Amino acid sequence: MAQLISIDPVTRIEGHLRIDVEVEDGKVKDAWSSGTMFRGIEMLLKGKHPFDAQQVTERICGVCPLVHGTAASYNLDDALGVELPDNARLIRNLCLGANFIQSHILHFYHLAALDYVDVAAVVNYSGSNAALKAIKGKVAGLVKANDVYPFLPRYESDDYVSDPELATVLVGHYVEALEMRKKAQEMLSIFYGRMPSFVGTVPGGVTVQPTVSNIAAFRARLAELRFWIDNVYVQDILTVAGVPAYQIFFTAGDSGGNYLAYGGFDEDSNGTVKFLPRGYITGNDVAAVKEFDENKITESVKHSWYRDECEGLHPKEGKTEPEVGKEGAYSFLKAPRYDGKAMEVGPMARMLVLAGLELSGKISPDKQKLMPLVKSLGLDAKVMELATEGKFGILPRHAMRALECKLIADQMDVWLDELKPGEPIYDKKDIPGESYGRGLVEGPRGALGHWIHIKGKKIDNYQAIVPTTWNAAPRDKEGNRGPIETALLGLPVPDAENPINVVRCVRSFDPCLACAIHVIHPEHNGVKSFRVV
Amino acid sequence: MEGKGVTRRQFIKYAGATAALLGLSQSLVPEIARALEELTSGKPPVLWIQGQNCTGCSVSFLNTNFPNAAELVLDKLSVRYHPTVMAAAGDLAFGVLEETAKELAGKYVLVVEGPVPTAEGGEFCTFGLEKETASFNGYQRRKDKPMTVWMEELVPGAAAIIALGNCASFGGIPAANASVTGTKAVQDIVKEISKDKPVINIGGCPSHPDWFVGTVLDYLINKRVPELDKHNRPKAFFGKLIHENCERRASFDAGLFLEDWNDNNPDMKLCLFKMGCKGPVTYADCPTRRWNSGVNWCVGANAPCHGCAEPTFYKDLSPLYEPLPNVNFLGINTTAETLGWVAAGATAAGIGAHYLYKQLGKKAPEGGEQ
Ligand code: SF4
Ligand code: SF4
Repeated sequence: MAQLISIDPVTRIEGHLRIDVEVEDGKVKDAWSSGTMFRGIEMLLKGKHPFDAQQVTERICGVCPLVHGTAASYNLDDALGVELPDNARLIRNLCLGANFIQSHILHFYHLAALDYVDVAAVVNYSGSNAALKAIKGKVAGLVKANDVYPFLPRYESDDYVSDPELATVLVGHYVEALEMRKKAQEMLSIFYGRMPSFVGTVPGGVTVQPTVSNIAAFRARLAELRFWIDNVYVQDILTVAGVPAYQIFFTAGDSGGNYLAYGGFDEDSNGTVKFLPRGYITGNDVAAVKEFDENKITESVKHSWYRDECEGLHPKEGKTEPEVGKEGAYSFLKAPRYDGKAMEVGPMARMLVLAGLELSGKISPDKQKLMPLVKSLGLDAKVMELATEGKFGILPRHAMRALECKLIADQMDVWLDELKPGEPIYDKKDIPGESYGRGLVEGPRGALGHWIHIKGKKIDNYQAIVPTTWNAAPRDKEGNRGPIETALLGLPVPDAENPINVVRCVRSFDPCLACAIHVIHPEHNGVKSFRVV
Repeated sequence: MEGKGVTRRQFIKYAGATAALLGLSQSLVPEIARALEELTSGKPPVLWIQGQNCTGCSVSFLNTNFPNAAELVLDKLSVRYHPTVMAAAGDLAFGVLEETAKELAGKYVLVVEGPVPTAEGGEFCTFGLEKETASFNGYQRRKDKPMTVWMEELVPGAAAIIALGNCASFGGIPAANASVTGTKAVQDIVKEISKDKPVINIGGCPSHPDWFVGTVLDYLINKRVPELDKHNRPKAFFGKLIHENCERRASFDAGLFLEDWNDNNPDMKLCLFKMGCKGPVTYADCPTRRWNSGVNWCVGANAPCHGCAEPTFYKDLSPLYEPLPNVNFLGINTTAETLGWVAAGATAAGIGAHYLYKQLGKKAPEGGEQ
């Protein structure tokens, strides 16, 4: 007999997310993803000075303000006709990269790892490593005091990593990772003043000139992080992926085979060449990466609390008119679609687009970077096996996040070398009377787009479609599920009290809800209830 | 101590760092060490909830150094509920909230990150589930529980309430749309629930980890609410005007202003007033404390202070990149063009920056002026 399980709050993500799953015969039969918090960032920008958008949209999300600030800057650059100096482009790449590092580390160790590691097993550690013994002492102290918050309570499962040695190493890395991501934030602070909510990017460029000393300070921290990513983060992912009980997660949790990447990290002044290429994939046909066309983006609101007039619009003329309590709606998120299709965005989308271009020879062998890395880690057989099965699930999502982290961190060293102290960092332009702009970038969680309409030198309309709106979207007009909803289908849930696989799957997308529900409209008449009753 | 992998010497060093963080005399180190030791045995429970937030203050909290985040979360506090770090989810997670509120009434510290939306019965922000049910896709499912209801349940039993960040303290960015979501600052909600319960506001968008950690340690060590300014912010951190302590003050006084980021000579730090700096109206210790382990701060990165620690941030400080308008100084209506010279004259005449501040714009001074 089918049963409904509601998980609210889904913790260890950013923001307020509820997941409802219908479970039958120990498997997920259907799923609904709902965003349950609503603020209103875009609308308060109406009538404001266009430059404010950069600071205000950063506050959409405290985990990656970098991405919003950067998207807003490119958006404004576009609207103002800025010719971005190389130094500014490189500093933006470097800081965006540093944010990928801090965000990916935070995600794996602090948001996801507790789904796989049995913290309680640490008390059984019997080895002689001094650092690990200290970790054991700490956890034993917590257990003795009967105060194991925030590690317990948790969903119970018999497949946690409970080997004392391995569990202790991983818990030790959890603590180390806190210091590592702090270093990545310091790296950002060098060029951008502070984190979170940085100040060093402005429309037209950046505020800090590269100097010998800030380059050196940045590089010293980068070197330490690169060492740690190679020797700890990537290795831990491989270790977890090697646990026999987790083998089903290579294919379980696949989102339906459609992937979209806007492309990230400009390699030339007009942004045509990207370090992480743009493109999209349908039906898991990885080798056939298709050309991305911005005009094919639309948003559906059939199952979202917005009026039907907002249905099917491109974000440039997007409307956001709430109709709370609307029949059949169950989320504050709209359902963005590309060419009518739900798309997964994020590290997996970016890495599959890159892999597809490399495998099909569209990137020449001497310029390839992902497949050589995959080979050197001994993963190529696994990837090919997944490719033929046509499914990429929970573990590949984590693994590709780690590989991407390494690719970007390595490249940052190259960008540092390209900085030219003394050369321009800023292109001063007047604000036009009327103009449109758009800024498409990649954030840690995926494709992010900002669109602006300037009128009378002020902001007339500002729209953003964020990564989590793609991934955690509800059903669209045709009734097609969003990527997370699809990924949940078929997952084993043997114990309704402990739906651990459901949260494992949801967290593998690294959802960020504050980011996803940032829209609000002043025309808010007669809305009485949010209930879907 | 030794059993936990901390030597006596490290511990004293750590107590010294805490003293420095709180701006206390090093002669108090032994006392602080004793208080910290006591804390380790009876860890105060913390319930940390999130409203209309962006999690920026939690992310900033993770950047804390003395003590670091792991020491705080595992050794010093019993963080029972924190949606971004706790292992539990769903029923298990909010069960902890309900149980702690019941069992440890009067003992827990309630940290609120993000403000509280009150319109539409509070449905703009919900987490956890109520007892009553409603139908959902053919099933009976418990209803979403609004944050307003959580506040009613959690506020009365809190030993102390900390509003973390500008949104929780003053409404911040979500309050700019208060007409739609009915966003209220934490202190206004608390007033309605338990009139006399004090709320400590830690401003900043986001809050500096030291501002939060320092306040918590101060509260735990001295068992009292620290001295607050008129906006209920700890004076220790929000008592000084940025402009008074700014490393570029000499440029301001000399009338040397940055006007194009390309012009900035790395060796000569030009004042950012014309780029929109809100330092002259903002109370916070950023110039001396700096951010991210002391690596930098906003003005240090040639960017204007946006006034993110002020109750008026963001709405009343916009446009952020335009100079503060029509500075009326010493009875002379000046502009940024002449301001530096006038200010220099005033300083020479021995008139403090507070006076300058009071003449700026229409607003009375915000924050902890003495
Ligand atoms: S206006 Fe800003 S940059 Fe200039 S001295 Fe004052 S605080 Fe410093
Ligand atoms: S310098 Fe100003 S904008 Fe920067 S953190 Fe301090 S108060 Fe906020």
